[in-house]
Amino acid sequence: MSLSCSGLSVTYGARKALTNFNLAVAPGEVRALIGPNGSGKSTALQALAGLIRPDEGRADIDGAPIAVMSRRDIARRLAFLPQQPSAPDEMTVGQLVRQGRFAHVGLFRSYRPEDEAAIAWALESTGLSDFAERGLNELSGGERQRAWISAALAQEAQTLLLDEPTSFLDIGYQIEVLDLVHRLSRDRGVSIVMAIHDLNQAMSICDRISLLNHGMLAFDGEPRDLAATGLIEEVFRVKGQFVQIAPHAPPHFDVELARWTSPPS
Amino acid sequence: MSHAPQTVSRAPVWFVPTSVAVAVLSIMLAVFIGVVDIPPADILAALQGHGSAEAKSIILDIRLPRILTGMLAGIHFAVAGLILQMITRNPLADPSIMGVSQGATLAVSLFLLLTVYIDNPGSNTLAELPIAWLPGVGAVGGLAAGAVIYLLAFRQNLGPLRITICGIAVGAVLHAVAIGLIAGWGSARIEILLEWLSGSLYARSWRHVMFLLPFTVVGLSLLPLLRRSLDLLRFDAPVARSFGLGYRFHFSLALALSCSLAASAVGVVGPIIFVGLIVPHLARLLAGRRFTLVLPLTITLGIVVVTLGDLAGRVLGQAEEVPIGVITAIFGVPVLIALLRRVP
Repeated sequence: MSLSCSGLSVTYGARKALTNFNLAVAPGEVRALIGPNGSGKSTALQALAGLIRPDEGRADIDGAPIAVMSRRDIARRLAFLPQQPSAPDEMTVGQLVRQGRFAHVGLFRSYRPEDEAAIAWALESTGLSDFAERGLNELSGGERQRAWISAALAQEAQTLLLDEPTSFLDIGYQIEVLDLVHRLSRDRGVSIVMAIHDLNQAMSICDRISLLNHGMLAFDGEPRDLAATGLIEEVFRVKGQFVQIAPHAPPHFDVELARWTSPPS
Repeated sequence: MSHAPQTVSRAPVWFVPTSVAVAVLSIMLAVFIGVVDIPPADILAALQGHGSAEAKSIILDIRLPRILTGMLAGIHFAVAGLILQMITRNPLADPSIMGVSQGATLAVSLFLLLTVYIDNPGSNTLAELPIAWLPGVGAVGGLAAGAVIYLLAFRQNLGPLRITICGIAVGAVLHAVAIGLIAGWGSARIEILLEWLSGSLYARSWRHVMFLLPFTVVGLSLLPLLRRSLDLLRFDAPVARSFGLGYRFHFSLALALSCSLAASAVGVVGPIIFVGLIVPHLARLLAGRRFTLVLPLTITLGIVVVTLGDLAGRVLGQAEEVPIGVITAIFGVPVLIALLRRVP
């Protein structure tokens, strides 16, 4: 397993944000974390990234406990992109992506050709090669999001945690990000865990899905099995059904929007 | 792949030399212009150790140490302000926000007050005032205030916003106590205190230069080592930590450096306001995206602003010179407003 955790529990004051959370991600696996707002997706990702200390349980990366690793050791193995990160105003795309190499160059080592190559690859993979000199504050929301993904890619970590990477992007960029995620997992064997709101995107791109509800794991398995459980309707409090659109594609959740039409008289 | 794209903006070659030249020019102006008119030839001779005793005394014992003290203090304030603005992500951060100036003020006030009672020689106290102790006392007071604020913020989660709020709160309390002391006391010593409080380079000697120099040397030589961590400290803590930075350690280190630079300078010249606030903004404005230039420009501009500000104070006031702190305050406000108008 490249990333795993067992019995993770996190409390914020009196509120239990995450209770006894388990996860095991294989190399090259794409894992979706889904669940309603406030169900603990971001908390789970931050605990996996070692950014918050869990009250109970442990998280391991490549078999070693994250709790005892230095930030740089973690950053070489795991890249984490938080929701809506902010950067200094005058920073350019290139400067941001460069920061992604800190885990490798550290405080003193100079940038070697392999660092420059990683930066160039990260920019190219996100379609930002021509944007390196642009200021982040001149970019559209979608371009800025790609710049941050690019910085995470420059880290060249074998595990990538993304917190709602497609939120605030239009559908075109959403698909672009998902394609990129898929390519990384298949071509480079990168393990990916991402919190995502669009259920159908999660169903179609992920190898496995974890469903969180009130900080507890409600489901852990393949998308097709999730469709058979009826948990989606229950957890998200909606009515709908899974329909098979194409023979080999995962089923598509068709949500009923007719709740607010007036009842037939 | 063809070749790696240029991801660092290169500055024009002339940029840094020009800023150094401007700094050197301002220092030369400050050496050659003064209340006492000395012919340039005599000044040059004095600098080489020849010339009249009067010229030598004015240049070597009065002007030069005063200019050097101002130069070092300017560097300290400007760099301290730059670091604070970076790590707190607060564009209005400067040493006074961290309570450093107020801590130094209170320490100096207390010190002068207490020496009245401890060392009470009766009638003529003025000649025996322990002025030589002021830099040390001020620096210790400033550092102590910085440490108190750090501990207050540290007990909670050490964050830029919390440390700013703690700094303002503690600073306000220290300032109030110091003003209370000064108001309730009113003796001959108040003049020394007022001169110190307005931020002045009057009668600063080689002793002051030697007091500041170790801080300057250590501080500036640490900066290259902190370059990358300072870059990362400009991000939110979760982002910086994800990139691989041990946030708390490096934040504390940068803060300690900034407080030491500011506290030592406040101890020697008093709180020269606005230098720590405005110089980093000017440097950023000139550097634009060439971020590597911000630090060198902050250093050279810190020298230029304090040196020219003090020169202006000396020339404008003639015998009754205007303290540098007053000059920076008067000229600082319009500059600050102009800078703020350029910020979206």
